[in-house]
Amino acid sequence: MKRLLVLFALVALVSAGCAKKAVTRPEAEQPAEKKEAAEKAPEKVTEQKVASGKESVKSLEKETAGVEEKEGLFKDINFEFDKYDVKSEYKSELKSIAEWMTKNSGAKLSIEGHCDDRGTNEYNLALGDRRAKAVKDYLVSLGVPAARLQTISYGEEKPLCTEQTEECWAKNRRAHFVVLGKAGK
Amino acid sequence: MRNSYKGQRKYVAHGSTGRIILIVFFLFTFHLSLLTASEAKVYIDITSPAAMKVPIAIFDLPGSSGKEISRVLRDDLVFTGLFTYVDKAAYVESQSQPFNPANWTPLGVETVVKGTVSEGKNLTVSVRLYDVTDGKEVLNKEYQSEKSLVRPLAHTIANDIYRALTGQKGVFRTRIMFVGERAGAKDLYLADWDGHRSRKLGLKASIILSPHWSFDGNKAVYSSERGRQWGIYLLDFQRMTEKRIFVSRGTNLAGDFFPNKNAFVFSSSKEGAPDLFTYNIDNGSLTRITSSYGIDVSPAVSPDGTSIAFVSDRGGSPQIYVMRSDGSEVRRVTFEGNYNTSPVWSPTGDRIAFSGRRGGKNQICIVKPDGSGLTQLTESGNNEDPSFSPDGRYLVFTSDRDRTKGVYIMRANGESQMRVTPKDLKAFGPRWSPN
Repeated sequence: MKRLLVLFALVALVSAGCAKKAVTRPEAEQPAEKKEAAEKAPEKVTEQKVASGKESVKSLEKETAGVEEKEGLFKDINFEFDKYDVKSEYKSELKSIAEWMTKNSGAKLSIEGHCDDRGTNEYNLALGDRRAKAVKDYLVSLGVPAARLQTISYGEEKPLCTEQTEECWAKNRRAHFVVLGKAGK
Repeated sequence: MRNSYKGQRKYVAHGSTGRIILIVFFLFTFHLSLLTASEAKVYIDITSPAAMKVPIAIFDLPGSSGKEISRVLRDDLVFTGLFTYVDKAAYVESQSQPFNPANWTPLGVETVVKGTVSEGKNLTVSVRLYDVTDGKEVLNKEYQSEKSLVRPLAHTIANDIYRALTGQKGVFRTRIMFVGERAGAKDLYLADWDGHRSRKLGLKASIILSPHWSFDGNKAVYSSERGRQWGIYLLDFQRMTEKRIFVSRGTNLAGDFFPNKNAFVFSSSKEGAPDLFTYNIDNGSLTRITSSYGIDVSPAVSPDGTSIAFVSDRGGSPQIYVMRSDGSEVRRVTFEGNYNTSPVWSPTGDRIAFSGRRGGKNQICIVKPDGSGLTQLTESGNNEDPSFSPDGRYLVFTSDRDRTKGVYIMRANGESQMRVTPKDLKAFGPRWSPN
């Protein structure tokens, strides 16, 4: 036990670089009650329930009204591990999306960025953000007005596939398209 | 210690001669050299805590509550790595007999915990702690609580014992906040540091990420996606309310609080690429502190508030960087491996823990802020999201080593890794409470 006190004294000594201080500090901190403890009445502690007693959190936010969403019109495009550049093999697909957007001038498109789960959650959210933006930038370069394109990252939070295989990871590294609001054909 | 010298003499007189002479002491201090060689027979190798564990005897307190209290005390104290529990089968003295050091010295026991329990409507527990080498009582305290609070009561006792023996504040009343997912529904959970008394907070959100405590432990911020927007939410634990405090286009990832102001640093892609911003909750002011073409994410404020560690891919792969909290003087900290993320500072600011990919898996690593002293602490499965206990002696983290992601704790040197969340709960993003 003394060894413990000395341990902390030693730690303090090493960091403070002051022998006297380190040696005397534990003495000063020792409660005075110690010696008289046997004769004295015990110290009393009462444990009380903390918090307000409320079990769950009340949200101060209004629930947002849902927007009509239409999925499956366009196929996902996939990415390499830890990369966010659009591969050339997907350029024709993106071109057809751009053409569709031109025809359906009332439609808005949400581009979702997703990742496989090998990365860490926060970094993956940033990576998914970059993937969605890269696709958006490409569509803008094809003439789609930026105002009609939204991006959102889901990182690794919404996997398509949960097996730990390269095939499954590759499927999860994707940009996914959702048409919002009044969609055409 | 008040009777330090006298006590030390006594300690030796009681015959703990198996100790190696502490030469280190003489190197450090002339003060102690006034003692004779035999008086300084106290050996502590501070680099190897395993070599100096204190043997402790803990009686089973009476009744079922008493037994549970003793179990908590044993688990708490043994987990510190500073104590070894001496099994009760070896005890010669009974709990009701007066404490006699002579009954314990032959067993090598150095400290003894005894107590009584009276169970009425409430629980009244009296605990006494004895020092065998000094032959005296070190702690004598009475505790009262509702019966349902037996575990927090036991943790309070463990804190008192820990303080009496080490002079330091224990972490046994601290809590861990994490994101849990059952049947696709996510929620924030709050549990005792050992994973017991876990409860969900009842947030209505499908995605929750990156919870962070405020410095006083009364609030938390986290990110949640609702209606295709990433907002940052503030949870008030005292009122049990949740409020969205920041939202914009792009990804907003909840960040770390500054020590002395009601402000935090976070990552947002509102201006294009994910960059770091500081946000003052009191006046709503927003300040951009990084602007790189790539990703800047996961900022962690140093304990003194002067520096920020964060992750950036500006060098081609995700690495840990440190800068001043105004965004100046950016320098890279990690150079080994090509995927280093999730930095957190130790409470004294002398170390940064992070998740680094080693051999295809993420592992908890630790490094000094100047980039030296890199050490890998985990080996099995993927290990992510490290967070220090307030005393810096332990880390909580996420691991998938038992398939489903769960929350684990370990000592900050990698010892005693153990799961604290149930196996049927997917759990991640743990954060150790500051108090």
